[in-house]
Amino acid sequence: MNKPNQLRMTVYAALFVALIAIGAFIHIPIGPIPIVLQNMFVLLAGIILGPVWGLACVAIYLFIGICGLPVFSGGHSGIGWILGPTGGYLIAYLPAVVATASISKILGQKFSGNVIAMVAGSVIIYALGVPWLKFAFSMTWTKAFAAGMYPFIIGDCVKVIAAAMIARMLKPVVTLQPQNKTA
Amino acid sequence: MAELTLFTYRKGDSLLHLLDVRCKFILLCLTSICIFKAHFSSVFLFIFVLIFFFINCRINLLKNLSGLAFFLLLLVLMFISRSVALPGDPVFTLFDISVTKQGMTDGALMVSRFFTIMMAGILFSITTRPASLKNAIQWLLKPVPFVPEKRVAVMVSLALTFLPLILRQANQVSDAQKARLGNLNKNPVKKIVRLSIPLLKKTFVSADNLAFAMEARCYDEDRTDPEFHLSGKEGLFFIGGLVLSACLVLY
Amino acid sequence: MKTPLIKIENLNHSFSDGTCGIRDICLCIDPEEFIILAGRNGSGKTTLIRHFNGLLHPSSGKITLNGNSIFKDINLARKKIGMIFQDADTQIVGDTVFDEVAFGLENLKIERQYITKKVMQVLKQLHLDHLKDRSPATLSGGEKRKLAIAGILVMEPDIILFDEPFSNLDYPGTLSILEILIDLHESGRTIIVAAHNMEAIIAHATRLIIMEDGRIKKDGPPKDLVKTLERFGIKEPCSSRLGFGIQPWQN
Repeated sequence: MNKPNQLRMTVYAALFVALIAIGAFIHIPIGPIPIVLQNMFVLLAGIILGPVWGLACVAIYLFIGICGLPVFSGGHSGIGWILGPTGGYLIAYLPAVVATASISKILGQKFSGNVIAMVAGSVIIYALGVPWLKFAFSMTWTKAFAAGMYPFIIGDCVKVIAAAMIARMLKPVVTLQPQNKTA
Repeated sequence: MAELTLFTYRKGDSLLHLLDVRCKFILLCLTSICIFKAHFSSVFLFIFVLIFFFINCRINLLKNLSGLAFFLLLLVLMFISRSVALPGDPVFTLFDISVTKQGMTDGALMVSRFFTIMMAGILFSITTRPASLKNAIQWLLKPVPFVPEKRVAVMVSLALTFLPLILRQANQVSDAQKARLGNLNKNPVKKIVRLSIPLLKKTFVSADNLAFAMEARCYDEDRTDPEFHLSGKEGLFFIGGLVLSACLVLY
Repeated sequence: MKTPLIKIENLNHSFSDGTCGIRDICLCIDPEEFIILAGRNGSGKTTLIRHFNGLLHPSSGKITLNGNSIFKDINLARKKIGMIFQDADTQIVGDTVFDEVAFGLENLKIERQYITKKVMQVLKQLHLDHLKDRSPATLSGGEKRKLAIAGILVMEPDIILFDEPFSNLDYPGTLSILEILIDLHESGRTIIVAAHNMEAIIAHATRLIIMEDGRIKKDGPPKDLVKTLERFGIKEPCSSRLGFGIQPWQN
């Protein structure tokens, strides 16, 4: 990768770190449970940045949170929050972003492919988040699913469709640079 | 914005403010790990140490507890679920669910550990400038193979500059939509898309400009190393931290 | 005949989507000139000045600095030709005022001691030294613009390019930036300002270049061209319109 493009990817990845952090604070009131946009930005980071930069972006987000910057939901930070009951969802962002990015790449970054990729990503987030929650609270599986997954499914469907539409509209903005390729 | 500034850096000249950020960070990590071995006596010792530093920084902990409401709720839930889940001598029984003594002890211990880590983390955030934290991250990642620590440091710094920019633009976009009664739209997908597209387009244009601005200023990953300020008390703190960690593991 | 500072020969640039940015630009710039590059939005001003320091690569033609192609040593060109972007918000990289100013020197891997000295000197010069630990996001519009200038001045440029330096500034902000521009010119630097509203600066300029559709249409002393400005969609300064000729904006 040449130097200006590498710089551009560095800047875009940093932008997604900020978006993921802010995603924890943007609530969209729909139905009884407000939708938080954080996991949508994680999945979008995968689709737009690709597996390597996407992973770097999520890793840096988690890392600065662990290091004490208040970027987790509710302005929290620190290793305690990651090890806490909802930490599984955060750790799951790492495999989720790689999976989403890879599947989207394999399926050719089309609308339907992106939807499948993001559904897979969401499944990974719950696959790690729900058991973590279960063991932290030592609750039954039924209860863990009822508290940590079912209420969010509708919101997630909405987010996945919205994210696929956003990815489609954003692609020309991100790829069409006034920079020529000879750089 | 208020939520974002809750536990951020506050200016000051307390012991912890002046302490080298690397020392602070290593001690934070060490004690956070050791505390999972700790029992009540050493957890309380740690809490006393933290209270001393909170007073030293002149920060009123009770005032800030409201910002921790969600975290405290999680802790309460954790305590209750532990109390009922562990088998042992029942303290009282309600609708066939018995709260056990062992469960309550175990729950209280777990909760106090998490609470202490959270407090330590808040203390760290309040006394550490994001800029020096970024420098510490770069220094700590240096020995880690395959991680370009300087690029990570630049990305952290950029992410920090993007945060206020995006928040301001998000507010602008949301106001512009309210001005055109966009908030009456009931379709949730459209709601997200209409909010996100202008926001993301704007921020990506900003990101492009920023990349140009960095290039114009000779951006290079091979940069001058950051500098650190030692307060002279690092040795003392290290010894104190090690003793505390030993206490946490042993008692 | 001495060589001009910057010489541009037959410069063309078309964007990757096929649209033409600038066409057949030939331009010589001598030391200590104060040039206004005027033109309506989309006339190619920004595209042209982004070629000066190699942010954009020309489709054809060449640019030389002191007789050498700028691409021969791009970092030298970017150090000598400083550039202030239109939107001050999106060119700020550092998370404190000090770090922001130090960014360029850090990229050149200059040693820390010199950086600290130089940054403080420039901050004092622009009266920003009391803000050195502040986060740039919390500064006013005028202060941000000044900060952007400080970030360029530490690199000791000979030529400074300003892209719309007065956009989004209030009256005091405009005055303070104008003062800095005049000082910089008096200290022997070459100033190039891209603007579509030249009310504030035209009295101080030595040369006016008018662009339209990516071409240079007029090039000469401001007093000769000021009456033709409105033909190119640029507002004629009030004083000239009212028949008082070009008057300085201050006092």
